[in-house]
Amino acid sequence: MSTSERAHVVRGVDHAAFPTFDPRATIRFYRDVLGFPVVHATCALGWGPGDHPDFIHFFFDIGNGDRLAFFYYFGVQPYRDTEIPELIHRARHLAIHVDSEEHLQEYRRRLDASDWPCELQVRHETVESIYVTDPNGHLMEITRPLRAITVEDDIDANVSVDALMDVAGEDEPTLEKFFARKAKLIAERYAGEAELVTFA
Amino acid sequence: MTTLYVLDVEDFRPLAEVASKDPDTIVRHRGPYLQIETVGEIRIERDATGCRNAVWYSSVAAVEDGRVSRWNKVELVVEPRDDTP
Repeated sequence: MSTSERAHVVRGVDHAAFPTFDPRATIRFYRDVLGFPVVHATCALGWGPGDHPDFIHFFFDIGNGDRLAFFYYFGVQPYRDTEIPELIHRARHLAIHVDSEEHLQEYRRRLDASDWPCELQVRHETVESIYVTDPNGHLMEITRPLRAITVEDDIDANVSVDALMDVAGEDEPTLEKFFARKAKLIAERYAGEAELVTFA
Repeated sequence: MTTLYVLDVEDFRPLAEVASKDPDTIVRHRGPYLQIETVGEIRIERDATGCRNAVWYSSVAAVEDGRVSRWNKVELVVEPRDDTP
């Protein structure tokens, strides 16, 4: 069965979970600053493994029924990965969606009035985002669409991924090789008579 | 022929439009892409496109028989590859 024949029946994020060693700051940040409702908490006495038997797993609603969850382990020494390269810190993040500029600015206002002000606001190619590092050191993004994603964008994404599959399987992948491979795929897939374009 | 592809969406169309002002450059539809072809190098000034930063730096979809030799705040240059068969 090919991928295209498989039913795509997943329905977004149930929850994304992270560890916290500072539950008070975490609750202040997500509940009191951002205003994310607390929607569930599992309090486990002696449920975890021997070195951290007692924990609380608590959840914030991040809209659309999706949830952001944290584990707090009682009696465990805080761990902070101080060696993490900036590239990894920036790459590994959760982006939460808002629909409009007004809503993005509202979350920026909430952050800027708190101990965790917005660190960066960027207009990317299709979205505009604000960034903040949460009390646990996790990079969080809140993002709004700048334009609708089109059929053309989806096609291009698939051609890109096919080209990446090919180039990443070679010895020394480069962006230059990627662009060249992608051009070949485009030429192959759209080999028919090409229509001349003129601009008025 | 040095060939640059950009996706035919509102964000990237200005690159093809600016490139087409060079009389030796031909622009064609190729599926969902605009195919910009010329003999020699393709040079597109960013200011003329009106693209903001993120759009400018995500505008290249693909390059055939050429390589991006410059892509900075001022211009995008795709030069012919010496080893083009």
